[in-house]
Amino acid sequence: MRSFRIEIAAGLAGIVLVGVALSTAQEQTVTPRIVSAANSFLATLDQKQRQSVLYAFDDQEQRRRWSNFPVVMVPRGGISLKDMSPTQRAAAMALLASTLSPRGFEKVQQIMDGDEVNKTTDQGPRGNGGPPGRRGPGGPPPFGPGGGRGGNGPIFGKDLYYFSILGTPSEKKPWMLQFGGHHLALNITIAGEHGVLTPTLTGAQPALYTLDGKTVRPLGQESDKALALLNALDEKQRKKAILSYELADLVLGPGQDGKTIQPEGLKATEMNERQRAMMLDVISEWAGIINGSAANARMNEIKAGLDNTWFAWSGPTTATPGKNITAYYRIQGPNLVIEYAPQTLGGDPALHVHTMYRDPTNDYGRKYTHE
Amino acid sequence: MKTKRIAGLALFIALGCPAFAHRLDEYLQATMISLEDKQAQFSMRLIPGVAVSSEVLAEIDSNRDEVISDGEGRAYAERVLGELSLSLDGHRLNPRIVSATFPSIEAMKEGTGEILIEFTAELPGGGANRKLIFENHHETGISVYLVNCLAPQDARIRVLAQKRNRNQSFYELDYVESAATVEAASPLLAGIENLRGAANMFRLGMHHIAEGTDHLLFLLVLLVPSPLLVFGSRWGGPAGLRHSFIRILKVVTAFTLGHSLTLALAALGFVSVPSRPIEVLIAVSIFVSAVHVLRPLFPGREPAIAAFFGLIHGLAFAATLSQLGLDGWARLANIFAFNLGIETMQLVVVAAVLPSLLLLSSTRVYSGFRIGGAVFAGVASAGWIVERVLNVAGPVDVMVDALAHRAVWVAAGLLVFSAVCWWVSGTGQTEPALEQSA
Repeated sequence: MRSFRIEIAAGLAGIVLVGVALSTAQEQTVTPRIVSAANSFLATLDQKQRQSVLYAFDDQEQRRRWSNFPVVMVPRGGISLKDMSPTQRAAAMALLASTLSPRGFEKVQQIMDGDEVNKTTDQGPRGNGGPPGRRGPGGPPPFGPGGGRGGNGPIFGKDLYYFSILGTPSEKKPWMLQFGGHHLALNITIAGEHGVLTPTLTGAQPALYTLDGKTVRPLGQESDKALALLNALDEKQRKKAILSYELADLVLGPGQDGKTIQPEGLKATEMNERQRAMMLDVISEWAGIINGSAANARMNEIKAGLDNTWFAWSGPTTATPGKNITAYYRIQGPNLVIEYAPQTLGGDPALHVHTMYRDPTNDYGRKYTHE
Repeated sequence: MKTKRIAGLALFIALGCPAFAHRLDEYLQATMISLEDKQAQFSMRLIPGVAVSSEVLAEIDSNRDEVISDGEGRAYAERVLGELSLSLDGHRLNPRIVSATFPSIEAMKEGTGEILIEFTAELPGGGANRKLIFENHHETGISVYLVNCLAPQDARIRVLAQKRNRNQSFYELDYVESAATVEAASPLLAGIENLRGAANMFRLGMHHIAEGTDHLLFLLVLLVPSPLLVFGSRWGGPAGLRHSFIRILKVVTAFTLGHSLTLALAALGFVSVPSRPIEVLIAVSIFVSAVHVLRPLFPGREPAIAAFFGLIHGLAFAATLSQLGLDGWARLANIFAFNLGIETMQLVVVAAVLPSLLLLSSTRVYSGFRIGGAVFAGVASAGWIVERVLNVAGPVDVMVDALAHRAVWVAAGLLVFSAVCWWVSGTGQTEPALEQSA
């Protein structure tokens, strides 16, 4: 009997050791893996390219140089996939993938693919795709046919996305990876073991397209999960959640860092457990873009502030099955702002959306970088 | 879709006027209001879409020289202000321009240019209940409006309601200004604020342990064998009421001491451990206790084990606390309040199951209950270990949470069940307390 106890004890000790070793190993591999991916990417660049990619960590202008607009309207820093060799492109995408979760990486690629669809379908000056190019009386056409700008090249396409690195990739000292273009701005701050994704903008147009026979909605979950949450509310709750006015755009879009607006709508303390879980699930569509360990930490932070988190909705409360909602919604907590804002440009707001994901207390990871 | 677009294009060329109402066909006017004690700051972002930018530009660049001079900028900002109507409690306010910045003409023509006008208005004193109204009549034909208020930094200002018309050209902000005479620095007020903070931390602590099903499961599993005697390497009959009670008290106290110690150390920054290994170790602690319930691994030493694993659980509590970003001297009080919340909730839970355990332990049913509970905890903790090591979400949380959400019913059901078993078993009296042979 005594030996039985010793065996169990030994077995348990083994489990503990393996568990600790595995979890410690996993814990410690995320940042080093990202850093090594960043260094591999930088190593593929020539001197000139490297100079264009690298910025000082505290370069406030570069930090804020992101937008929902196409890159020809608002030029980005860094270098684009278009200006990279296949090897460089592979290393760049490997770096991006190392910072994100598989689902997050897929979402990003779907947004980029959508822009490629834009490029191939957008023949007119005022197409399904992009910014209007209406000729004002006597004014020059901003964009020529073929989605080009004065005929100088395309304004859409999945290679028009830019990489930049602020600071030096390091396991200890904070640095930042920016990746973005039309309808996409990822600002990823790595500070030791922490990974921060705020502020980040995602968008999609077309928000529904077919690629290789597959129907894709890059931001479909963001739409469907929120509508499911709205539908899970009872009459009294809906009355609080649904705002009486229209929201034409993001309130805290590009350039609105660090602002906390007076929250509105339905507070999570007035939701039941199921509704709260559904709201967390909506939030995870943004919080889960970043890699697993950073996403877990972020979700815990959001859960800790859940009681003070609000859900607000403006616009139609139904959607065409298989299409995105045409309503605006916002989820706001002590360290969270999510906005989902359909755009009327293009004619059908279900096909064009801008979203914003923020932590006003932690823009560009300032909570961990002590700026 | 394509044909529709081409048709739209043809229409546009034919008529030479807007065929669709598009976002970029509009003049976006977004206002942010920052409310202070004696004044309000307004920040207006004006973004003419590409389709209306020439119209707006013509108004700004009045001499059409393709340059926005200081004078022209100033004049335009004044015009915008003139077309707002701003009042507090029915009295008209007189806003004053602080700054007006204009983008390049190029950017404006492209529809990406953003005009920023900042102005301020003095707020005359008044009653406690205040009503600020902001109406925007600038370019109503082509504009869309957004108006928001920043969450007030001044704790004395509390927003009650924001009312808007459908397109937000009308905005009303109802707020209260609590006794403005109380100085923010007043020690009494600061004390009240701290008390309120501590109360919040107390509630958070209670909430945390109530939500932290793994912590509770550990404690409960450890309590299951407390009312039993050990015979050799097996669990035997009941140890008696008084004896059981004292043992349960020892276990709970030891767990508390353990986690209080590490919580304090970690929260004060003396120790720092990554959270993932801790989460894994917590699952391991449940597993160990579950095995102990099946066969005594450490009979009579439950308090020591509880204290030891308490050390680990405390580190997890500290991780929660650290996410709240507390610092300064308020930390200590908050840690104390948080811990007190944890203890309180823990005692509630123990009090809820204690009678059941004591009743049930004097019946034959107890060994079945003990084994069933141990298997449940063992399976759940093994699942947790796997999930936490691999960093994946799995069914265990869902399963345990489902049970935890019905905790009151489970506890009540257990009590009824125990009472019935106890009554049926007909002992009516617990056996006299025996001295435990270690």
